[in-house]
Amino acid sequence: MKCEKCGKNEATMYYKETVNGVTREMHLCPECAQKENLGGAFESAFQGMNQLWSDPFHSFLGGGFGSLWSDMLGTPAATLLGEERKCPSCGLTESQLRRTGRVGCPDCYNTFADILNPYVQKVHGASRHIGAAPAQAEQPKADPVEALRAQLKTAVEKEDYEQAAHLRDEIRRLEGEGK
Amino acid sequence: MSMFTITGGFTGLAASSRVRLARNLKGWPFRLTEEQHAEIANKVFAALQSNPTVGPEFEKRQIVPRSAEAARLVEKRLISPELAQNGGYLIVSKDEGVAIMIGEEDHLRLQVIGAGLCPKECLETANRVAALIEAELPFAFDERLGYLTACPTNLGTGLRASIMLHLPLLTATGSIQRVTGFAGSRGCAVRGAYGEGSQAVGGFYQLSNQVTLGASAADLTDKLVETASAVIDAEKKAREQVRAQNEPALRDRICRAAGAMKSAFLMESAEAVQCISDVLVGLQMGFLTGADPQKLYALEQMIRPAMLDGAPQERDQTRASLLREAAQSISFT
Repeated sequence: MKCEKCGKNEATMYYKETVNGVTREMHLCPECAQKENLGGAFESAFQGMNQLWSDPFHSFLGGGFGSLWSDMLGTPAATLLGEERKCPSCGLTESQLRRTGRVGCPDCYNTFADILNPYVQKVHGASRHIGAAPAQAEQPKADPVEALRAQLKTAVEKEDYEQAAHLRDEIRRLEGEGK
Repeated sequence: MSMFTITGGFTGLAASSRVRLARNLKGWPFRLTEEQHAEIANKVFAALQSNPTVGPEFEKRQIVPRSAEAARLVEKRLISPELAQNGGYLIVSKDEGVAIMIGEEDHLRLQVIGAGLCPKECLETANRVAALIEAELPFAFDERLGYLTACPTNLGTGLRASIMLHLPLLTATGSIQRVTGFAGSRGCAVRGAYGEGSQAVGGFYQLSNQVTLGASAADLTDKLVETASAVIDAEKKAREQVRAQNEPALRDRICRAAGAMKSAFLMESAEAVQCISDVLVGLQMGFLTGADPQKLYALEQMIRPAMLDGAPQERDQTRASLLREAAQSISFT
């Protein structure tokens, strides 16, 4: 029996996993099994530990099982034309993306948006993030001029004209910088 | 009690909870060289050290690929088999409640592990630690896709929350298929924690959220807890049903397991896990007393093959002696 992944070598390893009651079996050659972190004396010590760690969808839809990933996403059209699309930032090619199911850098999500957006929608049933965002994005920097204007108002109300004059000069300086 | 030691409820049926956040540093490609992993590990460690309270709690360890130490860390579930295989870094709290892997497919895999049913508490801690790092090292983030990850399946929250459930009676009564169907309908996945296929050794299962995008981390965690609570109720009902049908047979099985645990001189891994599983049921159902379920869950990890030294028979002997020691104070009611 040939390896189900590369289709070239003889399959000597048998891999089986069950997620949500659905059992998936694979016959792999040692090379592909090693690439997938399966098999070998080292792995056997861990028995089912890989299942514990691997993400349910990883091993199921992507996870480097090229055939499954390609089935979902189709064949790379650009390769037929001889010139392959590449991410300008990290150099990841479209066929690498399809083979591994992994992007190379944040910019890949823009470069390959036409492939990834429908996939994201399919996997997550959603296309937009909800919830936590980096603190910097959540708190826009306060306008320093606005803050000084508030202080100026208070100073005038308190009839602290010396402080008010100082604040007025500071506001003028900052506004001048902004022009 | 240490700074990151978390204990939740249902300790008799929920062995442990864990929360993992996948994060990548802004401005770096996802796939890095060994030198870059070292640089990131140093930066993350320094970011934690900048906090005088939290800093001293952490230590940084280099993971030597395929080393015995790496194998032990896998069995303790502090690192993934992939990290043990390829090497990288582990930044871990002294109580081992927080573990940050560097060198996985994402720059950072931040995990918080607690005892019992406590994913919400684990998430709070994970968020706090992530915020400490993020204050010094901004993460790759996109307004639409959330936290950006190497695999699109982790986009958004980057959250994988899971609970290790002990469901031996749902397994024995053939109801696991129904549990997985129910969990699936609620966006959760069930998988056997040990062993192959659906025959989870000892009835240990991992329940985790399936999607990471489109709901907040808190909502995903709430849903997981609700689902786990329903599954725990089902296991309790299954236990009572079996008791009502044939209490002597159930008691016999549990007491035999406790007897084997108290007296066996050689014990293989699978048999040991089964014994511990039966004794846990006995403790929860009141057939046995005198042992803390959480200590038995810890024991179940300690007796796994990579945790013990020596040839197979020596390991079986060490394993049996660990079980005897743990069973000393167990008595039959």
